[in-house]
Amino acid sequence: MANPFRLPMAPRTIRNLFSKPSTRRYPYEIRPRFEGARGTIKFDVETCNYCMLCARRCPAAAITVSREERYWAIEHLTCIGCNVCVEVCNKNSLSMSTDSKSVHTHAEVGPQGQRPGHEEWHGPDPVIAAPAAAKV
Amino acid sequence: MKRTIIPFGPQHPVLPEPIVLDLLLEDEKVVDAIPTIGYIHRGLEAMVDRVEFTEMGFVVERICGICSFMHGMGYCLAIESIMNVEVPDRARWLRIIWAEISRIQSHLLWLGLGADAFGFENLFMHCWRMREEILDIFEKTTGGRIIHSVNRIGGVRRDVSDSELIAIVAKLDELGKAFDKTAKVFASDASIRHRLSGVGVLSMANARAVDAVGPMARASGVRMDTRLTGQNLYDQLEFEPVLETAGDCLARVVVRMREVRQSIDLVHQMVAKMPKGDGLPIETKVRGMPSGETFTRLEQPRGEVVYYVKANGTKYLERFRARTPTFANIPAMIKLVKGCDLADVPNIILTIDPCISCTER
Amino acid sequence: MDKAAFLARVGEYHENGWRLAIINATTVPSPDEATPGVFEISWGFAKDLEFETMRESVTTADEVPSVSEFFGAAFLYENEMRELFGINVTGIGLDLQGQLYKTSAKIPFSHAAVKARLEATAAATAAASGKKA
Repeated sequence: MANPFRLPMAPRTIRNLFSKPSTRRYPYEIRPRFEGARGTIKFDVETCNYCMLCARRCPAAAITVSREERYWAIEHLTCIGCNVCVEVCNKNSLSMSTDSKSVHTHAEVGPQGQRPGHEEWHGPDPVIAAPAAAKV
Repeated sequence: MKRTIIPFGPQHPVLPEPIVLDLLLEDEKVVDAIPTIGYIHRGLEAMVDRVEFTEMGFVVERICGICSFMHGMGYCLAIESIMNVEVPDRARWLRIIWAEISRIQSHLLWLGLGADAFGFENLFMHCWRMREEILDIFEKTTGGRIIHSVNRIGGVRRDVSDSELIAIVAKLDELGKAFDKTAKVFASDASIRHRLSGVGVLSMANARAVDAVGPMARASGVRMDTRLTGQNLYDQLEFEPVLETAGDCLARVVVRMREVRQSIDLVHQMVAKMPKGDGLPIETKVRGMPSGETFTRLEQPRGEVVYYVKANGTKYLERFRARTPTFANIPAMIKLVKGCDLADVPNIILTIDPCISCTER
Repeated sequence: MDKAAFLARVGEYHENGWRLAIINATTVPSPDEATPGVFEISWGFAKDLEFETMRESVTTADEVPSVSEFFGAAFLYENEMRELFGINVTGIGLDLQGQLYKTSAKIPFSHAAVKARLEATAAATAAASGKKA
């Protein structure tokens, strides 16, 4: 039968009275994320050639591309942060930054009915000619 | 003798997992328990008809947040075995290193929840504070704290440099020292002993009869561990499954604590044995469609998990099934709950380490 | 399927100390309209380091006997097979009468449901590739 007067947590508890808390006072103190952490996708519209590989390979179908209209859009709230689009883009137009995804407090709907977290770009004519239609 | 029926779950202040048990009580003793699951059933296995096999890995690792790494690893191992893919050595070592660190994280989570279930919140916070160190390791090496997305068919997607691995081992050693102090509290505190000792005793014969797996069976003296089969490079490591004989809740707590120590030791061995050098290949390119079927078994923190994958030559699998260890331990839990006091029911449910997201998929 | 021979083999596994690891059902789509679709059921047994399986092919009309008399833990797998696949399993130890999962779409893995999902995926990929190309 264990001795009820043995208090194994006592030294730790007394030490806790005099040390600072282990928790961070978020959102006033924010720990910077580690390098390589998964966050939001960043897109550079100048270098994209609309080959549509990223849209085909996205497992969550978060990317929409239209070659004729030079339109590239991503739904940030559908994106799962898997990094596949960054890996397949052969023009290095996509990169993963460590910024956390922003929170949307209202169901704000865009002018054409876009969901919250929607971000789109309209690009100039691509720098090189678009490749011949690739097979799916 | 008054009979009452109490519906326990899916939401309950003391229950961490949404399982529903209809308890039939006579005065304060539980006479029968009828389980219902399905609160978290998302139909993930039906997604094989909609998601290609290359992308199914992302769905599989989201079956559960605690066991996420092993699910992704098990799926990739099953497809690689069907397609006869040779995975580079460094990738195989990295996978099992991450798997053992994932086991430490899962056991620390459970120890915290166990302490919280009988009211010891201080200990709960200490365990989870130690767990934060492990989640930081995961964020540094894989990019995510809970969902890692580093397993790919043919290898892993990120490499970890040798210096980083040595830093991880040093951090785990520090964690081990802090953990030893907490382990002493679990083993010797009088109130914990009162709540857990002698409660929910599962004898060795009963553990075999209900087909219990994992720490549930090992705490009753059954020497069962899927890592003993020697697959996945475990034949190059020295370890002996952690066994206890008492079979009560306290024995299961002690088994999981000793497994944390064992995992830290295993990571030491792995980092010493793995091939060193920068720029080693971590992935083999995979082409073509899988065709065939296989059963793959792994040792998750909660026990033995069996994956069944059947492919028919198209890019959609025909069947994917994950028989998770909690699914196998639910009959053991029901057997233990019958005949105990109502106050012990949450402790017994927690002691099988339930992971209902895994069970219901 | 030959029920007596099947139960005899399961009894042998139980006598020799094997443990029931998994009972799994797969919906195999039928190749043409004439043949009815089958379910392939696998019973997996494990002992020490070994793992062996038994396989039977059944249709919805067949009766599958329960192995609960040998392995009490089988009731979960068999209730699930009945609710999600529509396989007729008889004599389950703890019969939950269709209340185990409570899904909104009944029998989600029946042949009709699987076929509908595969056709919907094929239609979606055709539409997407038609639009993108």
